[in-house]
Amino acid sequence: MVTATRADSARRLAVFLAVLGLAAGPVPRPGYAAPVPDPGDAAPAPSSASQPSPAGPPSPTAPGDGPGPPAAPAPDPVASRGADLYLRTCASCHGPAGEGSQRGPSLVGVGPASVDFQLSTGRMPVDQETRQPPHRRPAFSAADIRALVAYVDSLGGGGPQIPTVGPGDLREGRELFLANCAACHSATGGGATLTNGLVAPSLDRSTPVQVAEAIRVGPGLMPAFPENVLGPEQVDAVAGYVQHLRGGRLDRGGASLGRLGPITEGLVAWGIGLALLVGVVRWLGGRAGR
Amino acid sequence: MITRWLSGRLARSLDDRLRVAPVLRRALAKVFPDHWSFMFGEIALYSFVVLVLTGVFLTLFFEPSTADTVYSGAYAPLDGSRTSAAYASTVRLSFDVRAGLLMRQTHHWSALLFVGAIVLHLLRVFFTGAYRRPREINWLIGVTMLALALFNGFTGYSIPDDLLSGTGLRILYSVTQSIPLVGEWLVFLAAGGEFPTAELVPRMFVSHVLLVPAVLAALIAAHLGILLRQKHSQFPGPGRTENNVVGSRFWPSYTVRTLALFAWVLAVAFALGGLAQINPVWIYGPFDPAQAISPAQPDWYVAWGDGALRLFPAVEFRVFGRLVPSPFLPGVVFGGLTFAGLYLWPFLERRRRRRRDRLAHQLLDPPRAHPARIGFGVGVLALFAVLLAAAADDILARILRLPVLHVLSILRVLALALPVSAGVVAYLVARALRAGGGRGIGELTRSDVRSAMRFGSRAGGVSTGVGDPSPVATAEPAAGSHDAARIELWRDPDGLWRWRYRDAVVVLAASQAYRSRPEAERAAATAYGDLPAREVAPSGGRTGEPAAMRERAGRIAGRAGGYLALAAVALWRGRRARRRPPP
Repeated sequence: MVTATRADSARRLAVFLAVLGLAAGPVPRPGYAAPVPDPGDAAPAPSSASQPSPAGPPSPTAPGDGPGPPAAPAPDPVASRGADLYLRTCASCHGPAGEGSQRGPSLVGVGPASVDFQLSTGRMPVDQETRQPPHRRPAFSAADIRALVAYVDSLGGGGPQIPTVGPGDLREGRELFLANCAACHSATGGGATLTNGLVAPSLDRSTPVQVAEAIRVGPGLMPAFPENVLGPEQVDAVAGYVQHLRGGRLDRGGASLGRLGPITEGLVAWGIGLALLVGVVRWLGGRAGR
Repeated sequence: MITRWLSGRLARSLDDRLRVAPVLRRALAKVFPDHWSFMFGEIALYSFVVLVLTGVFLTLFFEPSTADTVYSGAYAPLDGSRTSAAYASTVRLSFDVRAGLLMRQTHHWSALLFVGAIVLHLLRVFFTGAYRRPREINWLIGVTMLALALFNGFTGYSIPDDLLSGTGLRILYSVTQSIPLVGEWLVFLAAGGEFPTAELVPRMFVSHVLLVPAVLAALIAAHLGILLRQKHSQFPGPGRTENNVVGSRFWPSYTVRTLALFAWVLAVAFALGGLAQINPVWIYGPFDPAQAISPAQPDWYVAWGDGALRLFPAVEFRVFGRLVPSPFLPGVVFGGLTFAGLYLWPFLERRRRRRRDRLAHQLLDPPRAHPARIGFGVGVLALFAVLLAAAADDILARILRLPVLHVLSILRVLALALPVSAGVVAYLVARALRAGGGRGIGELTRSDVRSAMRFGSRAGGVSTGVGDPSPVATAEPAAGSHDAARIELWRDPDGLWRWRYRDAVVVLAASQAYRSRPEAERAAATAYGDLPAREVAPSGGRTGEPAAMRERAGRIAGRAGGYLALAAVALWRGRRARRRPPP
């Protein structure tokens, strides 16, 4: 009898926990809700100032005076800091003058948007040469990234500048996103599989500036969208809609289940719904004999 | 007290006019087997009820039309967009109608539960051989209902006209189109033109809310009517024969149990609908033939078809100069074979036996009694599991960090290897279990399995015929003490005759009462044949148990009624308080 009651209460506890888990909804991953990657960072790149970020108070330190080692006194501390960082962390693959090598492409003329995108999403520097570096915490502070962007730009001009992102129209953003982005990044922004083991990454950590940079630069397999394809207001709209997609704001129906679509829904229907009902039926049938 | 008096009067006045008492008494005394696996069908039945209830709510707000409209409402990213009326009304009922999203999500979740419960029920019927004569008709009806459930699930998933379901619709359109000679005619007949057509959504809507549910309701009625007529099958056990059913009466014990299940199905469906997001069409966006979405799969119950399309090599060939496009084999032929196999299974298996099995079976096979059937069933299940995984090959590729084509190759190998190996393993385990008697899988030893792999007297392991001693029957007392089994009759104070079966293990009371002793004896002889019958003293009322149960059910019903009344009063007072102007 004792064992029976214990089994009963365990079952009840399992049911209760399952319901609780469902009610709790999606568990926010670290860095999921806060787009500013490093709390010690200075304010995000000045271009994004018009799109206030929802979390992370801007550090009081002045630009150029990041939490890294203090810059050596030099005629242009930013430029020498950039050169120093470049030689230490980038030159081994991209070459001392950004000319590229067998391990990395040339950086001459890639433009500030590309460098800022790769550094601020933590994709560069790579710690291991994978085919597709993932979105991580950036290795450098915002000030160091600015110094590196300026230094790489000085190796050879040209390329798209870091875009300034303003508030965009949500409706237009949704329509543009579905027409241009959803085929690879999924309509949910969760990303999807591409050919040859590559993936279109999830956008749930991308800041508006990073989205705008990616649109202009076209990193990896992504096509670039120059100004004559998507105007600045349209880029603002897409970046704004991506911010709207992030987090759980659009998951109005409850736990998002990873927004992976019917396959996870089917797993939940079997693993929670039907499993629960089969347990109920066993319980009801088991009581019948008593 | 008052309720009892009222219900008594009502029942009497109805009986005076319609003479329902005899019918009702027989119906309420119907015996349901107690084994839990017999309730899978009821999960499906109650899911269907939830589907109808929530579906009626949805039809009040859904607009089955692809006409251009401008959505304006609470969902900001769509506010002011031009979409089809179907899509706009779906978003509107999700965001601007009170409880609309809950109802829509509950509807979708219960659709998944509905088909899942049908599949569980089908598996129970399959593995226990419950489809054998005389129940082939109900098997055919059941398979038809499964097909209709799949079709209705697909149309329901497609009518919101969103980007994800539009992709699926396009696939089904092309698969139908791939049928040689008639495909083109068929799709034009169904869709009214080249995809996408304006007729498709209204037509699917009519079929989804009217035609298929009506047919389903009629088939459910037929399914249950035949069940009542034929009575339940049951697992073998002490006191159970081909001529009786051992279990609980419909009233009161089974009524309480089945209503409890109904409450649970409602609770699970609405809990899922309220807590877990399903098919967020507002994120997917409206269908546009120029756009695509990835990853895209259909709901699980049709995902095996999608998986087959993804796995099968793109084979095109010509017959009499006509091209047979690549979706034909995995889409049309495989799906057709699946359902043809399901429909024909009872007749194929009957043929396969060496002794043609034309006997009626009321006692089920314990699954292990037929290793070949288990092996085949498990193999087919494994194949469908691989196909379901194949429908998510792109998601798997992302999780496994492998190129999607590698995943596809692995799944192709699995689709061939896993069914065979799983089937063989299940076959051997069933053989070992059958040889080892009534023990469970956990108690199998290596020597059991080894002996199961030796094919000696039973050549080829062809499954046993009709008269096999089933393992569970060994729980019955040995032949020597079989004379312990007897029928006991007695006359109750109300003047009616009752009887019960008694042996060393169980005491089973008959569900009916009889006017005379010969009638009771005849009934006992029908159930148990020529067992010694003797009269005994009435044992403290009607075997105690049903009476106590009836009392308890009455108490529960009374209490529930009281709570309902309290809730109604509270609601009414609340409304009055709200209506009253603030002082």
